[in-house]
Amino acid sequence: MRSLILAAAFGLAATAALSTATPAEATGKVKCQAGPQSGWKNVESLKAQLTKDGWKVTKAKVDGGCYEVYGVLPTGEKVEAYFHPVSFEKLYVAQRGKVLFRKSGY
Amino acid sequence: MRTIINSVKLFWLLLAVPGIAILHGWLTGGIETMDMIHPTGEMGARLMVAAMLIGPLAGLLGPKRWLLWLLARRRALGVGAFAYAIAHLVFYAIDMGSLEAILGELPIASIWTGWLALALMLPMALTSNQTAMKLLRTAWKRVQQLAYPAAILTLLHWLWIHDGATAAYIHFAPLVLVWLLLALRKLTKSQPSPQAGV
Repeated sequence: MRSLILAAAFGLAATAALSTATPAEATGKVKCQAGPQSGWKNVESLKAQLTKDGWKVTKAKVDGGCYEVYGVLPTGEKVEAYFHPVSFEKLYVAQRGKVLFRKSGY
Repeated sequence: MRTIINSVKLFWLLLAVPGIAILHGWLTGGIETMDMIHPTGEMGARLMVAAMLIGPLAGLLGPKRWLLWLLARRRALGVGAFAYAIAHLVFYAIDMGSLEAILGELPIASIWTGWLALALMLPMALTSNQTAMKLLRTAWKRVQQLAYPAAILTLLHWLWIHDGATAAYIHFAPLVLVWLLLALRKLTKSQPSPQAGV
């Protein structure tokens, strides 16, 4: 019976963790339909723009067809953020999995 | 050769190899500090699950030779899990850069679950030795049973930090599966057979 309780406890924990996640979180990624990369703006321009806005950019890469940026906000929070690679529009910002901002539809 | 393979010290060394490899990468500048956090945490969780699987597997399959071999190395797996969890914390702290920043993240669910899991692992690691076993007697087993809430908190930490939910499930699924099989076996054994009483 103890083993059944343990298995159930893990199942409940996993379900609880998932139920607090939105579909975007469940996949682990934000998806951008931004067309071919030849039409994208340069990631260095995004980093420069964010730095100008007061961010400290640690790392930037492509993920899910978006630009994924790791850095520190001007307010000091360490975040993971997604930007549209053509418009540089901010789509998603999360601090250790806690969503601080998400554009509607993403 | 057989003596070398069966050496517990060699087993400890094998557990340390992934840590040494990524530490070398970090020291030589090939791996950034933020990229040290996930692999150390994942390795810690992996060893924790491995240590927790051995007991239920022995209950399920009986005293197999390979299980007895692993049973003799369960302590190394558990202490190894704690060592990787500490490394996970150290790289997190380096990446955060200040105590103020670390405290600022403490109220976030994905973070406090990690802290709590580590706090529960601490007494287990400190008592993972023969002296503590002798001193604590029956209480020793209760201390080691902190592994269960620590594992649940580790799973939540992983899922909430949002860094590969699939990997988290793959790591913890064997544990749930073994417990379910154990429960199923106990349930079927406790059912009276149709011929009983005839």
